[in-house]
Amino acid sequence: MMMGTGASGFDSSAAASAKADPGDPQATYDGRIAFTRIRYGAAGDLASGRFRREPTWAHDFPRAEYNFQKILSELTFIPAFTDQGNLRRLDDPELTMFPIAYMSEPGFWTMNEAEAAGLRNYLRKGGFIIFDDFRGYHFSNLEAQMRRVYPEGVFRKLDASHPIFHSFFEINELDPRSGYYADEGDTEWLGIFEDNDPRKRLIAIANNNHDLGELWEFSDTGYVPVDLSNEAYKFGVNYYMYALTH
Amino acid sequence: MLDALFRFFFELSPVVFSQGEFRFAATTGSYVAAAAVAVAAGLTILAYRKGHGRPGQRITLAAIRMAILAIILICMFRPLLVVRAAVPQQNFLGVLLDDSRSMQIADVDGQPRSAFVKSEFGAADRGLLKALSERFTVRTFRFSSAATRTTQESDLTFGGSQSRLGAALSGVRQELAGLPVAGLVMVSDGADTADAALGDAILGLKAEGLPVFTVGVGRETLSKDIQVGRVVTPKTALKGTTLMVDVVLSQSGFDGQKVTLDVEDEGTLVSTQQVSLPDAGTPASVPVRFTVNEAGPRVLRFRVSPQEGELVTENNAREALIDVRDRKEKILYFEGEPRYEYKFIRRAIPDGDNLIVVGLNRTADNKYMRQGVDGPDELVAAFPKTREELFAYRSLIIGSLEAAALTGDQLKMIADFVDRRGGGLLMLGGPRAFAEGGWTGTAVADVLPIVLDRSRVLPKGQVMRLTIKPTRAGAATAVTQLGANEQASAEKWNSLPGVTAVNRIDAVKPGATVLLTGTDESRAERPMLIFQRYGRGKTFAFLPQDSWVWQMHHSIAVDDLTHENFWRQLLRWLVDGVPDQVEPALTTERVEPGEGATLTANVVDPSFVELNDASVMATVTAPDGTILDVPMSWDGEHAGQYVATIPTKAPGWYEAKIDATRAGKSVGSAVTHFRAAPGDAEYFDATMHAATLRRIAEDTGGRFYDASNTATLADDLRYTGRGVTTVEEHELWHMPIVLMLLVGLLCAEWGYRRVVGLA
Repeated sequence: MMMGTGASGFDSSAAASAKADPGDPQATYDGRIAFTRIRYGAAGDLASGRFRREPTWAHDFPRAEYNFQKILSELTFIPAFTDQGNLRRLDDPELTMFPIAYMSEPGFWTMNEAEAAGLRNYLRKGGFIIFDDFRGYHFSNLEAQMRRVYPEGVFRKLDASHPIFHSFFEINELDPRSGYYADEGDTEWLGIFEDNDPRKRLIAIANNNHDLGELWEFSDTGYVPVDLSNEAYKFGVNYYMYALTH
Repeated sequence: MLDALFRFFFELSPVVFSQGEFRFAATTGSYVAAAAVAVAAGLTILAYRKGHGRPGQRITLAAIRMAILAIILICMFRPLLVVRAAVPQQNFLGVLLDDSRSMQIADVDGQPRSAFVKSEFGAADRGLLKALSERFTVRTFRFSSAATRTTQESDLTFGGSQSRLGAALSGVRQELAGLPVAGLVMVSDGADTADAALGDAILGLKAEGLPVFTVGVGRETLSKDIQVGRVVTPKTALKGTTLMVDVVLSQSGFDGQKVTLDVEDEGTLVSTQQVSLPDAGTPASVPVRFTVNEAGPRVLRFRVSPQEGELVTENNAREALIDVRDRKEKILYFEGEPRYEYKFIRRAIPDGDNLIVVGLNRTADNKYMRQGVDGPDELVAAFPKTREELFAYRSLIIGSLEAAALTGDQLKMIADFVDRRGGGLLMLGGPRAFAEGGWTGTAVADVLPIVLDRSRVLPKGQVMRLTIKPTRAGAATAVTQLGANEQASAEKWNSLPGVTAVNRIDAVKPGATVLLTGTDESRAERPMLIFQRYGRGKTFAFLPQDSWVWQMHHSIAVDDLTHENFWRQLLRWLVDGVPDQVEPALTTERVEPGEGATLTANVVDPSFVELNDASVMATVTAPDGTILDVPMSWDGEHAGQYVATIPTKAPGWYEAKIDATRAGKSVGSAVTHFRAAPGDAEYFDATMHAATLRRIAEDTGGRFYDASNTATLADDLRYTGRGVTTVEEHELWHMPIVLMLLVGLLCAEWGYRRVVGLA
């Protein structure tokens, strides 16, 4: 059932979006901020085990977002869901109720025209998207897909002076060797600006040769160094804080 | 007509009767006649005591006969009307001729009202002036704003922009003081445009016993006319503000007709709409919306196109002056938790706009993000801790923030911010706002337009899902206007996606106005945007926690500006009329060239405490560029209020820059504008005001005449009893009414006898 428009009021059953894939968890909007992961590619039931391995969009799902949301709620006053995942496709009308989105493995991102239009409108109205968990040649696909979405925008390399790195934690240095995939290339923080104007707000940020989600997912297991997880949380919190204030 | 009838019966004018004294001039013959009448009366009684007919019939006949005898007896005693009549050419008469523009209105058989003045008073050998001149030494004055002597017809231009009846009467009274004045004659349409009441002038005339004979020129109703009666606009507005103004229209002869109502900003059309005219004689208010995009003193013209057959087209337009300020107005937005509402409200106000929303966002415990600050020191210690710091902002928005985040003094400061500083306060809905945020019982709760009830808070996590629409009162404000016109706006509201709220409000304060309501899932209506004035300022409560869905929702087009427009309008209203430390005011935005404009200024210190010991100077720049310094002095009555009269000469715009200093330090400055220009008040309510003229006449002992019935005016003036007079005695026994009474009674007696068979 779709969330109703004005004439019919506000349909509360947003969890059951018409665009939902079977088994996908979806948050019911109630004023809180939900970690919204973008699902792309062919349909499939996460719970059915049809995938031979987890699809690329689902890397680190759901532990990454659960851990991140807990940290977000602990450290900041952001009213975030802590017990709820939120999977949305780009052409899901209800995506607009969650103006910060996260996409994993954009190197494998494919989309149809409706999804491209959905993301285009989302970003132009005020949405923000985080691209994470990609390396090397994956960026070419991300760039090509984003050209379909936002032709006037180009990815620009961000330096540590950008406000997004100071919105909550003071990240004064962007170490190109600090990324999760640093062995495959220098870590870069790339952004697309509204109207392609660096004086305006960032509408998308991409962590090239990095994987914040992986560091969030395993932050409580000892599988990854605590320092790396801490830094990953700082970036994530700053992205959210920036997107909520710019 | 009535006068003529009266004179036919009584031979004399009613004025003679009202001024005269009734007496009898009995002679010896009168008493002899009285004796004869007494005998006749006795005989009558004797004759009717017995005889034919029933007793009732005889009594009736006797009564008629006695009445006849009584009339004869009165006549024999020679009744007189003794009246003091002015001695010809020994007395002065002041004649005041209305020389204002309204006299050009052609509502008298197609002729302008001035035609009567010209034909009757244009030359000494013409009309009424001739008749008056035969009896008095006439001093003729023409008047509009004041009375001046006139000796020739060409002096009359009928171009005066005002009709100050009181000033004209007082002026002539003083000019003729010391002369034997029989009275004053005022020829006018009675349309008084003076601000001052007529009462003072009438009191002066009454004290001197000087009667005013008024002659009303024109019709008491205009057969076909449309009038833009009243337009109430704010005196100042921030550039880019959308204003909703009520225009009062009235008409006669155009019932139900549709006309176009235009608004022009210095000649540029900024609004146009079709309106249906109200019923004749019933003024109706029409809401008009327009945006002021040009800075400076702007003359807004509200105009209805002249219709065919209209007698007066000059009253189809009204002008209003709005000082459109092109300056930055700072609003402090204190948000208690990072959320989308904060982001999207700030986004609604683009860079370069006249509004600056300074953001103070509490991101974590004791951690704040500042946005839009002027420098590193602004809000460095988070929310202001002194009144000076807080009062530097013009308005305050409080987001989802619990009351406990502020100290008691800060809460009191916020209340003072509204009450004393005159700022605007807007509290937004959210989990930490209103009663849910513990604001009940605080100083801020006192100023809010809603009643906070701790026992009615929603359980944590429960949200109300609502669709929003304007109330009737809300629809009349600019803030709810989301379309090009009323219908488009209503359709837009109906199509907007729903919002959520987590604060339950069941009651608003007395005097508060609900502008938006929300319908929840159980179809219950709840107030969503509430407004009230409090002290010098105003407060709003906005209950939805996510108006940002009006921007992001999938049903909203990317280029849709609904959310932006709503917030720009609401925030402009929030800062509208918020006073500065030096706040100028003018008693009127326009004065006649040559007259003085009264300028006042309220001066306060940074804590908005009134200052009575400041040095205040108005630097006035005239239209020709000359600069004049006019010191302003404390008026001695109102704390912090300074006043000065600014002289004007040439018509045009005058700019007054007011600087206030205290102990050598600047307190503040302000700029205001006014213009010297002829007014157009003459054409409004331009009918002949008989009631005003009748009141002047009756209160001073004179008489009111319609212009079509002035035949007796010259004669009536002889009997005012003032000046050099002689006593006139008018015998009354030979009045036609006496003869008619006698004949009538005789006929009645004869007729009655015939009827009852006694003839």
